[in-house]
Amino acid sequence: MFSRFFHRVGILVLPFLGLLMTACSRADLEVRQSTLDPKGPVAQVQYDVFMDTVYLVIVLFVLVGGLLVYAVARFRSRPGEVVKPKLEEGHGNPLVEIGLITASIGALVFIAIPTLSAIWYTDDVPQEAVATSKLSAWYPRVDASGKENYAKEVADQVLEIDVIGKQWWFRFEYPQLGLTSDAKRTVPNEIYIPRGKAVRINLRSEDVIHSFWIPKIAGKVDLIPGRKNYMWIQGDEVGHYYGQCAEFCGDSHAYMLFRCEVVEPEVFAQWVKAQKTDAVPVVAGSKAEKGKALFAAKTCAMCHNISGHFGAGNFGPDLTHIASRKSLAGAWLDNRDPKAQLALELKEKNTEASMPVDSAQLKANLIKWIGSSGVAHGADGKPTADVKPGNRMHYYKMFNVVGLRESHQKFTDEELDALAEYLLTLK
Amino acid sequence: MSHDTHHAPVASKLDLAPERSDLGLLRPDRSTGLMDWLTTVDHKKIGILYGAFAMFFFLLGGVEALAIRTQLARPDNDFVTARMYNQLFTMHGTTMIFLGVMPLSAAFFNFLVPLQIGARDVAFPRLNAFSLWTFVAGSFVLNASWLFEFGHLAGWFKDFAWYKSLVYTDFAPANGWFSYAPLSGTFGQADAALHAPRFTGVGTDFWIIGIQILGVASLAASFNFICTIVNMRAKGMTMMRLPVFTWMTLVTSFLIILAFPAITVALIQLMFDRQFGANFFNPSAGGQPILWQHLFWIFGHPEVYILVLPAMGIVSEILPTFSGKSLFGYPIIVFSGAVIGFLGFAVWSHHMFTTGLGAVPTAAFALLTMAIAVPTGVKIFNWLGTIWGGRIRFTPPMVLALGFIWMFMCGGFSGVMHSSAPADSQQQDSYFVIAHFHYVLLGGVLLGLMAGLYFWFPKIFGRMPKASVAYVASGMVILGFNLAFGPMHYLGLAGMPRRTHTYHAGNGWETWNFVATIGAFILGIGVFLAFANLVWTAFKGEKCASDPWDGRTLEWSLPSPVPEYNFARSPIISARDAYIEHKHGGHKIGYENDGGEAGVHMPSQSWMPMLASFGFLIIGMGMPMMAMSVPHAGWMVIAGVGILFTGIWLWALEGPGGYMLKTPTGSASPSPVSATTSTH
Amino acid sequence: MSQVAESSHAPTSTGIDHKKLIMWLFLASDCMFFGTLISTHLIYRKLYPTGFTDAEGHQHFVQRLFDIELTSFSTFILLMSSFLMALAVSAMHKGQIKSFRRNVLGVIIFGLIFLGCQVYEFTHFYHMGLTIQNSVFGSTFYVLTGTHGTHVAIGVLWLILLYFYSFTGKLGGHVGALDVEVAGLYWHFVDIVWIIIFTVVYLIEYLGPNGFWGTGLPIAK
Repeated sequence: MFSRFFHRVGILVLPFLGLLMTACSRADLEVRQSTLDPKGPVAQVQYDVFMDTVYLVIVLFVLVGGLLVYAVARFRSRPGEVVKPKLEEGHGNPLVEIGLITASIGALVFIAIPTLSAIWYTDDVPQEAVATSKLSAWYPRVDASGKENYAKEVADQVLEIDVIGKQWWFRFEYPQLGLTSDAKRTVPNEIYIPRGKAVRINLRSEDVIHSFWIPKIAGKVDLIPGRKNYMWIQGDEVGHYYGQCAEFCGDSHAYMLFRCEVVEPEVFAQWVKAQKTDAVPVVAGSKAEKGKALFAAKTCAMCHNISGHFGAGNFGPDLTHIASRKSLAGAWLDNRDPKAQLALELKEKNTEASMPVDSAQLKANLIKWIGSSGVAHGADGKPTADVKPGNRMHYYKMFNVVGLRESHQKFTDEELDALAEYLLTLK
Repeated sequence: MSHDTHHAPVASKLDLAPERSDLGLLRPDRSTGLMDWLTTVDHKKIGILYGAFAMFFFLLGGVEALAIRTQLARPDNDFVTARMYNQLFTMHGTTMIFLGVMPLSAAFFNFLVPLQIGARDVAFPRLNAFSLWTFVAGSFVLNASWLFEFGHLAGWFKDFAWYKSLVYTDFAPANGWFSYAPLSGTFGQADAALHAPRFTGVGTDFWIIGIQILGVASLAASFNFICTIVNMRAKGMTMMRLPVFTWMTLVTSFLIILAFPAITVALIQLMFDRQFGANFFNPSAGGQPILWQHLFWIFGHPEVYILVLPAMGIVSEILPTFSGKSLFGYPIIVFSGAVIGFLGFAVWSHHMFTTGLGAVPTAAFALLTMAIAVPTGVKIFNWLGTIWGGRIRFTPPMVLALGFIWMFMCGGFSGVMHSSAPADSQQQDSYFVIAHFHYVLLGGVLLGLMAGLYFWFPKIFGRMPKASVAYVASGMVILGFNLAFGPMHYLGLAGMPRRTHTYHAGNGWETWNFVATIGAFILGIGVFLAFANLVWTAFKGEKCASDPWDGRTLEWSLPSPVPEYNFARSPIISARDAYIEHKHGGHKIGYENDGGEAGVHMPSQSWMPMLASFGFLIIGMGMPMMAMSVPHAGWMVIAGVGILFTGIWLWALEGPGGYMLKTPTGSASPSPVSATTSTH
Repeated sequence: MSQVAESSHAPTSTGIDHKKLIMWLFLASDCMFFGTLISTHLIYRKLYPTGFTDAEGHQHFVQRLFDIELTSFSTFILLMSSFLMALAVSAMHKGQIKSFRRNVLGVIIFGLIFLGCQVYEFTHFYHMGLTIQNSVFGSTFYVLTGTHGTHVAIGVLWLILLYFYSFTGKLGGHVGALDVEVAGLYWHFVDIVWIIIFTVVYLIEYLGPNGFWGTGLPIAK
């Protein structure tokens, strides 16, 4: 008879089966955006609290689920049995009820304590982290040539990065280090942070709500227009991390990704220096020179800044160093060789390992991105077959109000090639 | 005694019905089929209509869900466009919550509450009809956005001036079911026509007015149910003798009347932003989009309990019946339901843990959220206590009810994980959340409601659904459900954000997304099968006795289908679980000496509730059309308001009406035991 | 027909009439409704204490905008209308239909005076430069007081219909008294809400030299 019973009740056991199966294969937990593979103190604390809840839930699951299965098995009626209902009113057993309520409260205290401590730990940079991470502790204020790397007032502060969310990309600014919109030096979609140093992130949005999430480094905090949100993060292992906008933000929300490079402090200093250099002049008579002319003629320069070449635009991503970036189009298009990258991750058993930029891949991406954003227009005159539908690269009536004029650019293959060649020179 | 049908031969009009109302207008009566259904004020027929509409929208929302899962089955898929995907998940969520679960719960409220408390109808029969038709109007407005969207995609509007002037061409809403401002709102400065630029098109306007109308329907229904439960209990039916389902209806109704005003105000503010250039949520003018989130979730979290408490009530009726035992800890189950309802208003910000509330509010809301797990756990313990020591009979409703406990328990566990704010900052807006609330709302609520459908179906139609089909369907639902949503726990922890229409290969999400899609299809077929079984049974099923399960509460003492006057004579109750006591115990149900010779007073049917609701339909269609600058749409809105007020005015003037209906002679009690008549 | 009439006041479980109970429930819901609107106003008032800026860029303090004498007058009128409403209900209970008509006509007229004041006030503020579009204060103020005004207008409409209905001779007895009492409940509630609005929207601006929220900035007019 038990077989018949399990036949019926067995289906109830399935819900956690899928979870258990996946939980058993540890390898699967080290995927690119895994929250179960923390690589920084904030993500670690969040992971620890999560595991506390997991332990509690497993205990409760076994206890309550076990009792339920036992009760269903033990108290089933036998076939043919005539059941005479018991009639006494069910007031319950006060001792059982109070005992269970007390036990529940006790179980919750078990997770409440680590929760409270983690809430305060993750809220803002803790004092001990400030002490070891303040700028002067790892980044010389004045470099060998006597040039100031940052102002004296900020020497005791931790590194601050402004994250500005837009539909559908992120802009990163380092106000203490002079990488700001005002200085026409901003970094789109790739945030660099020094390894082992606490960093304060200021979260701002210029349009709708977005959310900043690098699962291996820290849980998310929203970028809400009209609010000055902040968080702190720290990456403890050098590597290439994957982040994504986690709050629904319109048509191309799924394409709003970004990357985070955790680098050694010295490498970070070099990177900052590189970001401050202007683009090199294009070689006269080259294809790139033709591309540069197109960049102006096709109104690209109205929105995009290329320090040293064009300085009018600030609305779209800064392209001064576009050819050095590992991703394009809100990090949706990967500028590395995809096959080689996956092979490397498998070999290293680590998704943080990264191939360098592959210029053939980059060029193909550029052509795809610029080309397909302008060619296919639906009945309403808006692009339909975009890499990112609704993106602001091209015509969008709505943006007339912010001063963008309608630009309905179309490109020949030759023009696309020239533009791509030009952009490839912007290392 | 032959009283198995409720048609004319048995019951006859004793007194002359006022064929004309005070206005001299002809009142509809039950002469024709369609007219009967459109003008009915009978709570049972209204309940059946609610159920039919809800099941239709369940299937519609299910189709939307399957389209979503098809799109996500493979990485970089292009089954639907990004915008269509966003519209699908928005409409899926909105449909399931407002047009699926809530009306299905309302179907049970309508059908059962008067029967369980020994009343002949609800307190305001015409208001009840108004709730139903207003719900239908709201659901039509919401789904009309799809018609416009398809018209747009098919190019029907190409030649119209208003269409060419449109800045945005998304016609179905695409903001998600909580429509966060400012994506659903405005930015920048309003122009001379008072329109500020927006991020989304008229889909959002359809959504705003549709939800607003559905809110009116829910509010009107809730006022009615509270009034009915508080005021129309049979003699001896004290509050602590009320069946648990009726108790949960009462708590749910209170939640609705106290929670819906918040969303009503938020929707008004959003509407003023979009239509008249106000600045409630416009960040460029100083509006705070975060306010929308607070207002929405002050409504939104009680809403979760509005969805789940009725299912808990249903399960609390089914478990004792099939365990042959009283509900363990009745007072505690009732009390915990009330505590859940109360605490439900104090935990809204746990939906906003990632919005930078600050450490102290985050901690407070985390602790309160953990606290609400206690009364929920208490319910599970008491259900366990109910089957403990009983004699469990396996029937389709019982299997589904046990499935409810299991799934709801799992959903509760992941809920406890969310209550820990730091852990939640990784889970928020990821597939882990999707898994959590589908375990609660689908594994929990849908199984509970399905259990209720299979439990009370013999009472509603007097026919027994096929058990074999029911078992297969339940098996497919439970299997498919776990296959679809179990892996989503993993996907969320692996960093897959919700509301993304596609993802790249290489993130490690491919396998389980594919598995989830297969599960979703099994689930979809299971739900369809379960519903099809019911529809088939309603027309062709095998007839069954009036009390097939050895039921415990008053409704089982009535013939199936229930005659339109419910109780030939009003019952007098002397125990909780009155009917089982009547059958097997010492507390017999007594009957009042009403309704006998004089007949039963029945309310007249009416066109007016439907007319008033029709006004809402016109307003609801007119407002979004105004937003798309369709010519004369403004007049349409004014006409709608006119129809609404005319409907209400005529409704007030025609009066409740009513006629006397003669019940089968002397049959005070339909129960096998001869009843003692009381003369109070 | 006697049973029909009787059944409409059949005893209820609580002894409270259905109509009265449902009106109380509606008012509970309406409390939350106005609570939400008033909270919105207060939250924004605290966030932006400096009032609003008109089309010419002049900054206005709310205190200078308000005409507290007029608003006090209309508040008084509304309070007195509640008094008349109570008299009308009492008259109806005693079956004095003429007295009921007299009093309810007073309520209607007082309600219309209040609405007239509000229309004047809105027009005046609009000419002062406060619009629903130009500031958050404008949005919250107009929507909150406008919603209250709509409640008053619906109440006036309801009373007008009752007033004329009383001439048909059908308004009377227990049912008639109940109908009037329910309308009275609504009317009193709308009054009470106005007292709260008058306090937290108007009077509070007069606490301190630049109002409760004032920052001490100079006021440009």
